[in-house]
Formats: sequence, C-alpha cells, structure tokens
Amino acid sequence: MRTTANNSSVTHSTFSIERVYPSPPARVFAAFANQGIKRRWFAEGEGWQVDEFTMDFRVGGREVARFRFAGGPPMGNDTVYLDIVPDRRIVLAYTMIAGGTRISVSLATVELAQSGDGTRLLYTEQGAFFDGADNLAGREIGCRELLDKLAEELRAHE
Amino acid sequence: MLNRINIDQVFHAFGDPTRRKLVEQLSQGPASVSDLAKPLGITLAAVVQHLQVLERSGVVRTQKVGRVRTCRIEPAGLNLAADWIAERRALWERRLDRLGDILAEEEPPMGQAS
Repeated sequence: MRTTANNSSVTHSTFSIERVYPSPPARVFAAFANQGIKRRWFAEGEGWQVDEFTMDFRVGGREVARFRFAGGPPMGNDTVYLDIVPDRRIVLAYTMIAGGTRISVSLATVELAQSGDGTRLLYTEQGAFFDGADNLAGREIGCRELLDKLAEELRAHE
Repeated sequence: MLNRINIDQVFHAFGDPTRRKLVEQLSQGPASVSDLAKPLGITLAAVVQHLQVLERSGVVRTQKVGRVRTCRIEPAGLNLAADWIAERRALWERRLDRLGDILAEEEPPMGQAS
C-alpha cells in the first residue's frame, strides 16, 4: 500500500462491512434490484442532490449515478453488474468520479445469507484508490470537511 | 511500510485552540505568518511555534520566499489513503444503515412471521 502524494500512486485496499437485517434475503435482494428502492438508500439521504440515477440490473447491465453536494463538484458512480445470483449474491465493478476525474475503481461483492428469520449481508469492496485525485477540488472540500469534523470532535472533548 | 503521518501528532496539532484557528484561517487560503498573527493577537514567535507543530504533523506546509514565510494547508498530508478508504467505508456503512431503515419501514405483513 503506497500513500505517497505524487499524482500517479495507487493504493489497493479491501474492506468488509456486515449487517444483519430482520427481513428475508428476497426482500434485501429486492432493495438492490429495484431502482426506486436502491436510489433511496444508495444515493439519497447523504445531503446530495441526485442529478441522475439509472440502473439496468442484469449481468452486463450498467448503472449510472450522478450527484453533488450543495455547491460541490459533480460526483458520479459508473457501475457494471458482473454476477447476479437472486437472493444470494451480487458482484459489480464501479468507478467513482469526482469533478470529471476517476478517483477509484472497485470490485464490490454483496453476499446474502439466511440468518434465522433475517438476512446476514456481507459487503466487500476491493479497490484501487488513485491518490492523484487528492489534488482535485473535491478532495480539497473533503479535506475541509474532515478538518471541520475533526475540530468538532475535539471541541466535544474540551 | 506505510509512509503515513503519525495520527498522535495530528491530534496533538489539533488539540490546541490557537492551532485550530490557524488551520481554519489557512483553509481559506495561503497566508503569511504576520497575516496569521494579526487576528489572533499573539506574537509572531508564538505563531511560528504553533506552525512548527502543525508542520511536523504534516497538516501545514510553510515556505520562505525572501523575507516572507508563506503557510498553506497540506491536503496531501490529510488525505491519506487510510482516510480515503475510511471515508469510502463510512459511506457504505451509512448506505447499509439506510437500507436497514427502509427494510424496517416497508416490512409487509407476512403471515405470522415476525
């Protein structure tokens, strides 16, 4: 993993998140497969203005999301679905774009498993994160937000 | 091996109200040491001392051109790959929490199952 600040460095990393929902796998799967439901949890609610959200949920199908923070640069996700096993698994690749520049490319795997009456969801993202994107206006904004958050956190402990 | 900023140093840097004010000022754009000192009403020497702490933490970079030392935020110092990935992870944490909320509110009546 390289974290130098030059424009051409790439960091590879993997993270996983697990959730258990009281709904059966079919309903959790539907929340990924249905455009209206997915838009709600995926794109809305972050304080983003959603400019576009279209998806073609089938293997080889694409999803396009365009959004922005108030006054911020346009952000986007370009996704292609690589593997879909109903109620069990979704594998997709996505590029994240900020201000017209690709800032990362990731392989994301969603695994669903029955857990009692509910569903255990495991989200794993394997990504190539482009450090050159740090120079973007978007990252500057992100940096300021980070600073603000850090300051808030520290104030709370004063 | 990770060439990353010592997080303790970053927190130490932000642990002082004067240094936080300096960072706030610099987030508006680069400034000279005397520009920074004015609104704070402290001596240049004190500002320089705080700037040294900030510089050591990698948050701020200073450069002397002629007799003027210019200071700026060093975004590369803050936007570590680790932060980058933590942000992405946080984004998905929030998404999956919202998914949980939506699943809960839309739970249809499914017989006795509950």
